[in-house]
Amino acid sequence: MKTTALVLMTALTIALTPATLCAREGASVKITELRSEKSPLVTVRIALRAGSVNDPAGKEGLNALTASLIGSGGTRELTYSQVMEKLYPWAANISSQADHELTTFTGDVHRDHLEAFYTIFSQLVLAPRFDPQDFARVKEDAVNFLVNTLRSTDDENLGKQALNTLMFDGHPYGTTEYGTVSGLSAITLDDVKEYYAKTYTRATLWVGLAGGYPAGFAGKVRTDFSGAPDGEFREVALPPPQPIDGAEVIVVQKPARAYGVSMGFPIGVTRKEKDFYALMVANSHFGEHRTFNGVLMNSLRGNRGLNYGDYSYIEKFTGGTGNTTLPNVNTPLRQQYFSIWLRPMPPASTHFGIRNALFELKRLVDAGLSEQEFEQTRKFLMNYSKLWAATANRRLGYLMDSEFYGTPYFIDRIEAELKNLTVADVNAAIRKYLTADNVKIAVVVDAGKGAEFFDNLANNVPSPITYDSPKPQNILDEDKLIERFPVKVNRSKSRVVDAKDLFERR
Amino acid sequence: MLRGTNAAMFALFGIYFFVGATALTAQGDIDKVFPYTINNVTLDNGLKIVSIPFDSPGIVAFYTVVRTGSRNEVEAGKSGFAHFFEHMMFRGTDKYSKDAFNEMLKSIGADNNAFTSDDETVYHTLASADALETMMDMESDRFMNLKYSELDFKTEAGAILGEYNKNYSSPFMTIFEKMREAAYDQHTYKHTTMGFLKDIEDMPNQYQYSLTFFDRWYRPENCVVVVVGDFKQDNLLALANKYYGPWKRGTYKLDIPAEPAQTQEKIVNLPWKAKTLPIVAMGYHGPAFSDNSREMPAMDLLSQLLFSPTSDLFKKLVVEEQLVEFVQGSQGDSRDPGLFQIYTRVKDPKNIDLVRGEIEKAIEEAKTKPVPEERLKAIKSYLRYQYAMGLDNPNSVANSISHYIQLTGDAESVNRIYQLYDQITPEDIMGVAKKFMTTANRTTVILKQEESSQ
Repeated sequence: MKTTALVLMTALTIALTPATLCAREGASVKITELRSEKSPLVTVRIALRAGSVNDPAGKEGLNALTASLIGSGGTRELTYSQVMEKLYPWAANISSQADHELTTFTGDVHRDHLEAFYTIFSQLVLAPRFDPQDFARVKEDAVNFLVNTLRSTDDENLGKQALNTLMFDGHPYGTTEYGTVSGLSAITLDDVKEYYAKTYTRATLWVGLAGGYPAGFAGKVRTDFSGAPDGEFREVALPPPQPIDGAEVIVVQKPARAYGVSMGFPIGVTRKEKDFYALMVANSHFGEHRTFNGVLMNSLRGNRGLNYGDYSYIEKFTGGTGNTTLPNVNTPLRQQYFSIWLRPMPPASTHFGIRNALFELKRLVDAGLSEQEFEQTRKFLMNYSKLWAATANRRLGYLMDSEFYGTPYFIDRIEAELKNLTVADVNAAIRKYLTADNVKIAVVVDAGKGAEFFDNLANNVPSPITYDSPKPQNILDEDKLIERFPVKVNRSKSRVVDAKDLFERR
Repeated sequence: MLRGTNAAMFALFGIYFFVGATALTAQGDIDKVFPYTINNVTLDNGLKIVSIPFDSPGIVAFYTVVRTGSRNEVEAGKSGFAHFFEHMMFRGTDKYSKDAFNEMLKSIGADNNAFTSDDETVYHTLASADALETMMDMESDRFMNLKYSELDFKTEAGAILGEYNKNYSSPFMTIFEKMREAAYDQHTYKHTTMGFLKDIEDMPNQYQYSLTFFDRWYRPENCVVVVVGDFKQDNLLALANKYYGPWKRGTYKLDIPAEPAQTQEKIVNLPWKAKTLPIVAMGYHGPAFSDNSREMPAMDLLSQLLFSPTSDLFKKLVVEEQLVEFVQGSQGDSRDPGLFQIYTRVKDPKNIDLVRGEIEKAIEEAKTKPVPEERLKAIKSYLRYQYAMGLDNPNSVANSISHYIQLTGDAESVNRIYQLYDQITPEDIMGVAKKFMTTANRTTVILKQEESSQ
């Protein structure tokens, strides 16, 4: 019979003291620990301080492809299929995630099998097989993902990635995390081996451990990973994002029944800065992901029934769809951005929907939060944010992200910062970082409809909305303002493209 | 009564849970796969209260399982209504308007949402333990006294269409729709939980029916409240009686048409406008879920045998010959006989028939070749570890147990089904393969990019 176990507050506090959080720097590989002796589960996160920003020109996708080959490949001793055979009876799981700045391999296992699992997992990263057959498989899958999925059958992510290319045009973040079609096509197995030898070194590797691993395990991990080749960690220099002048628009054409919209702009604030936490309150009030707390959700969906959901973010946010509202962890960026995500709307309502979102954003910038809105949202966030780290795996992820940013544990810092915030702080941050005037907008529209859609947007053609049912007078009155809400489109920095032409090359 | 909640509770405790410490070394080492105590109490009005103490200091997961899903949509033109109704449940009551409901959730920092499937509609909240009474108050109020205007109803219909639209660019949604529509003639599994598009588009006109729907299904004997986490049982039951006691039983009897046996293979060719690789889907009518029959557990093991990443078929098609991006096959648990569905994305259109042939060959082999003992042991081990590793917080525990409650009304079904897994023999697996995986019992959907959009 299993017994349940208790994580005591004291144990947790100990686990998060700075002494434990601190990386063990020097000749050995950095280890982040979150040990819970009684837990039967163990999570190992092997991180690499490198991402798509490290891709060489013309080989965009090299970092992601290398990670895929390691995460779904073999070791020197075991083929990919043999690895799967070994892991299977334990229901152990290994996954890889390649982002712009951080690449992670995550392994979850019951502690009954930790030792055998760890041997395989560590060898996948430290002594990968680099089998030509595996390489052919993951490379073909990577190209197919861009060509046959992202460009054509996943419109919501297509819109987000189109916005990313627009926001970070000419910047190391400007390609997808997965690379480009031409870049991936040009990559050889030798390129992967060379990138691996240069990048997977003591200087860039970093291991996180969480759960019920035994005493002494962390020491073994440190020893093993410190056997990785010596190297040098060189952070890729990031230029400041280009200033935005007006509304810069990309309209993407492909067969589409409904039109999704993403819009945003880079902001000079991350979890490291105090202002981030003031903006966090503003953003939660404006567009907390998949809740009915947000102004956007209530305005577009709740009052008008335009679509399924409308949210905003003050940092990169992936995941959180389907049965989970939680974002992926380990996608930190040194330069963050504000974004709005409007889920697909009927074509006839999309122009209105864009105006509706900008109208609400302008109102936020002009009026800020009231004292009551501030207090309600602050209280909500101080509770809700704790739910983001409900498992050891996620907690470890947040812990490692905090180390990336060089800040105390994120979930604790939210509470610490929010306690001392005032509504004036929040409204000052809104005025400092947010604008409804200079914004990049990505819209995915039906094939052949891009030019007309763009012209209507750029010419500020009124976009009156019609409903299937009567609406309250206050909504109808507001609609009159929204349908003519001016959007100053910068034509010289806007374009209409076919989806098939996106992500081809940097 | 709305109590003030203690925001500091979350702040004091980092929320972090884990499953029990006992080793799970091999199948059969423990009698019950579900490691926690399950308390079952039925109120006088028929409402079941299932509570599971779990060491999550200061936190409870609060679920309400309505044993009604798209399976219950028996009337023509009303497909998708269970899901639509799930949306309407957030539109308020006389006591707590929509805005008041949201403000209360916000004040307790709750993660609150709902989902609908073939057989169930589940409302779930994760919040501070001292908000238990608030949750009881809010949830019982909307389950008994939901009230919304026709205007609100029509507005929400737009959000439903939006939900359909957000999924539309994925060909898998359309394949799934076409598979269901073709495979079933009579049973309500013919439509997906989203419903037929024509019915979704007509939803704004169905206000009166929505009142009927609520009256039929949102009744205590058709619902189960599940509470997992940090609570006191006496207090929980006192609150349950206080808030749910006045709820009146319903009278509606459901008559779902039985699906006749399929007598010949059905094939659907589906052109797709956007660029895509071909996708092949094959569906075989399978058994219903039962915790006292070996058929469904045997189908689950067959799924692992044929389609797990360690299967011969996966190795051949994905790893070695690389003809497909992926291949997978399984049957979800369902109250009435469901479909065992196989999906694969073929890299080259010219290999579609070759891939179909390989899948069929693997199925035929499973009918006559007994699974080796070691392989069977590995599959059973996988199933137990997979389940145990998912129970790492009160939300996942509540979610898991709710799944079995909606199927049988009894949380203990989880333990019985895993005991059955342990008893499955090679002959059981061959038996279900022979019985269900026949050509005449199959529906195949082949999605290909339209010639004109090449």
